[in-house]
Amino acid sequence: MNGFRAMLGKEMQVLYTSPLAWAVIAIFLLLTGYTFSVWLIVGQNVSLVRVVHQSAVLLLLFMPVITMRAFAEERRHGTLALLLSTPVDEMALVLAKFLASLSLVCAMLIPTLLYPVLLAHFGHPDWGTVQAGYLGLLLHASALTALGLCLSALSTNQLVAAVMSLGLGMLLWVLDSLGRMLPEPFDVLVVNTSLIAHFTPLSVGVVYLSDVGYFLSLTALGLLGAVRALARP
Amino acid sequence: MVVMRGLSRRYGRKLAVDAVDLEIHQGEVFGLLGPNGSGKSTLIRMLTGLLVPSAGQIAIAGLDVLKEGPAARALMGYVPEDVMLYPAMRVHEFLRFMGSLRRLQGANLTRALERVRARLSLHEVWTTPMGRLSHGYRQRALIAQALLHEPALLILDEPTNGLDPQQIIDLRELIQSLVPTHTVLVTSHILSEIERVASRVGILLQGRLCSVLPLSRESRYRLRVLAMPDDGVEGLLALLPGILEVLILEKRIGDALEMEFVLAADASLDAVARALTEAKLPVVGLQAVTGGLESRFLALTSRIAQV
Repeated sequence: MNGFRAMLGKEMQVLYTSPLAWAVIAIFLLLTGYTFSVWLIVGQNVSLVRVVHQSAVLLLLFMPVITMRAFAEERRHGTLALLLSTPVDEMALVLAKFLASLSLVCAMLIPTLLYPVLLAHFGHPDWGTVQAGYLGLLLHASALTALGLCLSALSTNQLVAAVMSLGLGMLLWVLDSLGRMLPEPFDVLVVNTSLIAHFTPLSVGVVYLSDVGYFLSLTALGLLGAVRALARP
Repeated sequence: MVVMRGLSRRYGRKLAVDAVDLEIHQGEVFGLLGPNGSGKSTLIRMLTGLLVPSAGQIAIAGLDVLKEGPAARALMGYVPEDVMLYPAMRVHEFLRFMGSLRRLQGANLTRALERVRARLSLHEVWTTPMGRLSHGYRQRALIAQALLHEPALLILDEPTNGLDPQQIIDLRELIQSLVPTHTVLVTSHILSEIERVASRVGILLQGRLCSVLPLSRESRYRLRVLAMPDDGVEGLLALLPGILEVLILEKRIGDALEMEFVLAADASLDAVARALTEAKLPVVGLQAVTGGLESRFLALTSRIAQV
């Protein structure tokens, strides 16, 4: 536990002293802020559905950038060998990096809580939809983070890790439209592995346990994959 | 302290480490020598638990490195080669972090930090970011992290790389100050450095541990004979059963032979002299040898190359 806390603290320090993290937060807030303003002022819509959807797409693009360095950089700099030579186990290393990356997602999302507050000022937003939307974003981000960490653990080059992570995220996102072109029963199978198919209900305020389970399974798969990739070959 | 039995590691078809049997004793400095690609790094990676052996076992103080990984790793301090440490972290932050990973906390961690700061003379750079340290100080910080928890076994992988002469002398003094309370395993390409700090040295060639030699002055001898028995070196060796442990070097000049050897633990030089006298061999010299690790290393590598 002591080792896990130390690792988490170090990850937070490395992450938040990096200009990349602040650039990602700034661009995320700029883009979602723009969408929110246009949607509210021009579209006269008292809803966050559009912003939540756009945030999911932005996370798809930004999470690989956040997770790419997690293990690939440690491996390239030789510090991974140093960490693995200590009594701390691989799971603690992976979880520390996972939570640190997820904290950055929280740092991106917390300022956007201003949007529902503004909506409440001008109208009567559906709070259930807002809560489900944020839950969906957190689940979506945790799955992408875990997959990104897994691919970073498999690579020594952070750019390769980022490209692979982006590719996998995009594939999972568009699998839905590809799946619909397939004959039964493959269509259902493929559509159900798609990120968007499970995210859309959450973004409009409908919480199915199957969708929550899908994101949690993907997260567990990514984390276990990262642990396996670090395990002594 | 360290026991390796039949340790092998295969990468595809290539056998990087081939059935190594080795014991490193408590409180000694053991040097591991070998040219590039000889399997030194693979052996170290298996010892530190970073790599799983294809066959064989490794134990540190009786703990199996694979089955009791965390407990075995808690006993060791590891200084890897060519590490680029976290540039934004200050030296004390890095050491505190590594100390926490090594299960130190509270007052114990604070005491350990003070101890390594004094021992490695890190006062000047204590609050300097790692990215701004000179190579020598980076190496000191790396050694400091490995000593924080007073490990029973310290593993130094090419520790003198990139150090200036004064830093090499400081490192040598540090290693010497660690015995006999710590066991040290050090790898290096610089034979003279190994010779100065190690009490025994293992020579690894093409993945095989070809020889383990004691480096104390008294244990190595040079013998010169003007004529060999009829069956050559083999016949000469047959005259010394149980006396001669390792034949290090043999050089023939016509009928004459010069050889260097290590005596078996319970053998004496008198026994060698007696056996040679009884065989009526024309011995012209039998003396203790100092230094010369380089010549022995070259002799071994050339012998392996011929094979």
